[in-house]
Amino acid sequence: MTRQGETDFRTRLQHWLPKVVLSPSLAMVLVFVYGFILFTIYLSFTDSRILPSYGWVGLENYSKLWRLSHWTTSLTNLGIYAFLYITICTALGLALAIFLDQKIRGEGALRPIYLYPMALSFIVTGTAWKWFLDPGIGIEHTMHLWGWESFRFGWIKDRDFAIYTLVIAAVWQTSGFVMAMFLAGLRGIDSEIMKAAQIDGASNFNLYRRIVIPLLRPAFLSAFVILAHLAIKSYDLVIALTGGGPGRATELPATFMYSYTFTRNQMGIGASSAVIMLMTIAAIMVPYLYAELRERK
Amino acid sequence: MARAVTPRRKALNTALAWAIGLLIFFPILWTILTSFKTEAEAIASPPLFLNFDWTLENYAVVQERSDYMKFLLNSVIIAGGSTLLGIIVAVPAAWSMAFVPSRRTRDILLWMLSTKMLPAVGVLYPIYLLFIRLGLLDSRAGLVVVLMLINLPIIVWMLYTYFREIPGEILEAARMDGAGLREEILYVLTPMAVPGIASTILLNFILAWNEAFWTLNLTAADAAPLTAFIASYSSPEGLFYAKLSAASTMAIAPILILGWFSQKQLVRGLTFGAVK
Repeated sequence: MTRQGETDFRTRLQHWLPKVVLSPSLAMVLVFVYGFILFTIYLSFTDSRILPSYGWVGLENYSKLWRLSHWTTSLTNLGIYAFLYITICTALGLALAIFLDQKIRGEGALRPIYLYPMALSFIVTGTAWKWFLDPGIGIEHTMHLWGWESFRFGWIKDRDFAIYTLVIAAVWQTSGFVMAMFLAGLRGIDSEIMKAAQIDGASNFNLYRRIVIPLLRPAFLSAFVILAHLAIKSYDLVIALTGGGPGRATELPATFMYSYTFTRNQMGIGASSAVIMLMTIAAIMVPYLYAELRERK
Repeated sequence: MARAVTPRRKALNTALAWAIGLLIFFPILWTILTSFKTEAEAIASPPLFLNFDWTLENYAVVQERSDYMKFLLNSVIIAGGSTLLGIIVAVPAAWSMAFVPSRRTRDILLWMLSTKMLPAVGVLYPIYLLFIRLGLLDSRAGLVVVLMLINLPIIVWMLYTYFREIPGEILEAARMDGAGLREEILYVLTPMAVPGIASTILLNFILAWNEAFWTLNLTAADAAPLTAFIASYSSPEGLFYAKLSAASTMAIAPILILGWFSQKQLVRGLTFGAVK
């Protein structure tokens, strides 16, 4: 009888245990991400300033937010930054991947080198590039020492060009990583298809344009989603490289949100900007995840 | 996939590939080299590559000015602690999903993973307010928990993919031989899972080490890790080039070493599995 009961208990345990051990992780993600996001959304409809307050103000924070020139500037900046960052990284990553796929000697040692910047923190990248781009001590200064006196490269101090320095540093950090994604895609292409095309007399250029690149569609899609969400989340790079300046020339939504909350004590407005960022990322991510799910089923 | 190329072409490609590699690596290399120069050598014209008097003086100055060891210790505790805690929470969850999958497992995984893409600003207020209420601001314990939570989806998912690679036949064979759940986990699964767990630890340690949003916003003097240390040097005033280089070399040194071993894990983790 006891033996029977023990077996029963064990069967039931085996049945329930997987669910029991899964639940802490699920619960944590649920509360920590969704619960907290709901709270942020709620805050965005209240009159919170330095501390949360629960007076309901409806959409007032949102209408205030859209009237702020700082916010629209940060959105324009994000547009420029994200567009250039995604385009250049994708182009460079693809080019490097195709190049590295040409039976290069020592490829195994080269890949880690291309990827190295990605292992660094954006803070380190930002700080290092801040010095390289500083006219007083960086590239410009070095060129002067080398005798090229008329060389000018002061973008980081220039309101109109500082945003491009963010692109430079971010591209340096991420290109090798995008390359790794494309390289994996290239290696996954069936060599029979390639051989057939070559036998049919396709030129190298046409081979890539008509066969390889279309086959890399999934890699393009994942690269886009990953780069886009990195761009929207960009915070540490800006803080380290330009601090949002000169003036507010390189402010991005994430740094805007931070400065409106902690230096201007406008929690309600800050929360509404966070909600808009969340919605933007969701708009990119949800269709991607949906497609991914359908594909794998 | 690549087609056959002539030896000449191959040599040319190889040279070019290494040149690009050098170009990419140059900023890091130059920073490291400069950190061993004197200030005068650092700005010498023409620049000196290896033919200078190597000195450790800059490191001594940086350590003296801002207590590097304290930041390093904080980084180790925060990155190590959050990784360890995350593994403890995630291993059972990943085990459950990999070996006892249900119809919803894939959906749950993708859903968990998707949360990693959401911007941290979305949860900044609740966490910040909670930290104030619990007195956790500028504490290592608080950061350990927060970094564990934000990286948990990645940890669970990484472990899941590694566990899935363990062949199920082995488990069946063990069960045939009369192994119970306990023996199964202890003697069959654990040894096979160790490499995957180690890879996950490595990836997560680097992610936590590099984390800047939370460490900058939730720490001040006491619990600040190396990301905050390097950010504090981000205005070059008062320090010169060689010393700045020493400071950043000290900040990235651990990652330079770990980074070499963790390329695969980084790509796998940061692409959310798009690349294995």
